[in-house]
Amino acid sequence: MVICIMELFAYTWCRVQCIGMGYEIAGETQNHQKLLKWQKHLMVELARLKSPDRIVRIARTKLNLVMPEPKQIIVIQ
Amino acid sequence: MKRMRQQQRLEQEPPRIKWRIVLTGLFLTALYLAVGTKAVFLHVVQGPLLSQKAARQYQKSMVTQGKRGTIYDSRLQEMAVSIDTTSIAAYPGAVSAPQETAQALAKILKLNPTRLKKKLSAKRSFVWIKRNVPPKDVEAVKALSLAGVGFIPEHARVYPNRTLAAQVIGFSGIDGQGLEGLEFFYNDHLKGHAVKQIVMTDALGRGFDAERKILSDYSGGNIILTIDRSIQYIAETALAEAATTHCANSGMAIVMAPKTGAILAMAHFPLFNPNAHGEYKRDLWRNRAITDPFEPGSTMKIFIAAGAIDSGVCTPNTVFYCEEGRYRVGRNVVHDTHPYGRLTLNDIVKYSSNIGILKIAEAMGRNALYANLKTFGFGEKTGIECPGETGGLLTAANRWTRIDMGTIAFGQGVSVSAIQMVMATAAIANDGILMQPRIVKALTDNNGSLLQTFEPRKIRDVIAPETARTIRTIMSSVTEEGGTGEKAAVDGYTVCGKTGTAQKIDASGTYAKGKYVSSFIGLAPCDNPEIVVLVILDEPKTNHYGGLVAAPAFSKIASETLNYLNITPEEKLQPDWNRRMTIAKMTEAEME
Repeated sequence: MVICIMELFAYTWCRVQCIGMGYEIAGETQNHQKLLKWQKHLMVELARLKSPDRIVRIARTKLNLVMPEPKQIIVIQ
Repeated sequence: MKRMRQQQRLEQEPPRIKWRIVLTGLFLTALYLAVGTKAVFLHVVQGPLLSQKAARQYQKSMVTQGKRGTIYDSRLQEMAVSIDTTSIAAYPGAVSAPQETAQALAKILKLNPTRLKKKLSAKRSFVWIKRNVPPKDVEAVKALSLAGVGFIPEHARVYPNRTLAAQVIGFSGIDGQGLEGLEFFYNDHLKGHAVKQIVMTDALGRGFDAERKILSDYSGGNIILTIDRSIQYIAETALAEAATTHCANSGMAIVMAPKTGAILAMAHFPLFNPNAHGEYKRDLWRNRAITDPFEPGSTMKIFIAAGAIDSGVCTPNTVFYCEEGRYRVGRNVVHDTHPYGRLTLNDIVKYSSNIGILKIAEAMGRNALYANLKTFGFGEKTGIECPGETGGLLTAANRWTRIDMGTIAFGQGVSVSAIQMVMATAAIANDGILMQPRIVKALTDNNGSLLQTFEPRKIRDVIAPETARTIRTIMSSVTEEGGTGEKAAVDGYTVCGKTGTAQKIDASGTYAKGKYVSSFIGLAPCDNPEIVVLVILDEPKTNHYGGLVAAPAFSKIASETLNYLNITPEEKLQPDWNRRMTIAKMTEAEME
């Protein structure tokens, strides 16, 4: 009888652990998806920030840069 | 002794009690049998059905669409990406107070409350409220905890460079289907797969032991283009500037690497923003460089000259009499912009004499002329990986009249696409080898592993390498002093080119007065061409000569592209140190 009760407790403990682990996995997976989503948003933001239109605008207006004339190009051998 | 007493007591009991015991025993046995039978019935007969019924209570089936793949430029910069968004939907049956719900939702989502109330009161099980809602608005709606309002995870397509290469890339619809451009052409490769997932839920409907499948495995494949977004930007900026300055209706510019056939840029004007394509006219959506045929005008002369030299009909120094600018062909009279007398083939191209090129075409003969144009790829599709390509129009030689042959020689009465023009000119740049134009470099799977690469492909030899070099020398005279394309010259580099000014046909089928297509096609550097550039402006108003309207845009595109590609200037120029650049200190706030 004692063994039977012990087995019952052991089985219950296993089931509880299994379900608990299921919740944890689901939570971590959700977290992972959330982070992936955030990473994708950051990638899009980076692509937007690196867009030639923006870079040229900043280079011309803020840094006062201009496209070099062929005369200004020195080839280093 | 004790047992004997018990025996005696039983024998003394009346027979009624005995019967009771038997009946009770029978009743309990029947009861056990009934329970047993029912248990067998439930487990054996109804087992599978009941298991399914139970599973429905703790398992939830979800269909999720994998993300659409990414489109990259040649340097792996994102041109089109998919991001996760949330759409808001309602289940009208579960909406308890449609009026209040509509009012609350309309305020946050900026929708019409009357229409929304109608939706919420509809006799349907499901209605969309708003697709791809910004995260801020989703949080605001979630905070209201409205009954019958649901949040559906979806994907939205984002084009981070906004208008850049919009006509080439195209766009996809709200359901993730490619509708225009490469998004449409490569829809099957780009679109994600639909995944059915079984999610275990508890009594509160919370999911657990799920998400075993990684959704990214179901994303669509990626595309790597040959287009370089910096060159694309250079081409678009120069084209927009030229089109705005000369009040043109529209414009196109293509930059190609002649040795590989790779398209480095394909620019259009006006542009549209694929992130909000619905706000633009449909006419702006298509890739006109591929789909629209046009009469090329004098740019066609270089191919006639190439054919004539290659077939041995004449040399660059063969002289033709240009009739002092007026030449009668049957009932028609052909004019030159300026009257010329005797010109060599070289000068005919340099000064763009219609009469001169007509006489060269006559010397070649119609069949040779037709075969020459066909060899360069006119009259048939190039096979570039873009939807809706036109093959242009080159009627069979046996249907040509004498004037047809003449007009085709100077690019009227024949229609071509911009991509055909670039491909044919690239053959001259590539020592007579016609290369397959390509805009897609490679296809990868969702993990970035290479699935297919598109290597440079030779179509055929169209002219001898010596002929190609001779034509390049003739074309270089066009951009020299006195040539029609002087304004296409680029400091530090030798440039070969040809101007084009073609009259447009109006709705009645006759050539319209004052409506022209102005163009310039060229390559640089002349000895070892790295780029071929075509600029076309439709109906410029301030001026219509290709040499004045399109050539400066060519010069700008060629100069900046050669610089970007680190092509060393051919001429040794004295450094201009007087032109100093001031670099201001810039804060992070200024960067924004």
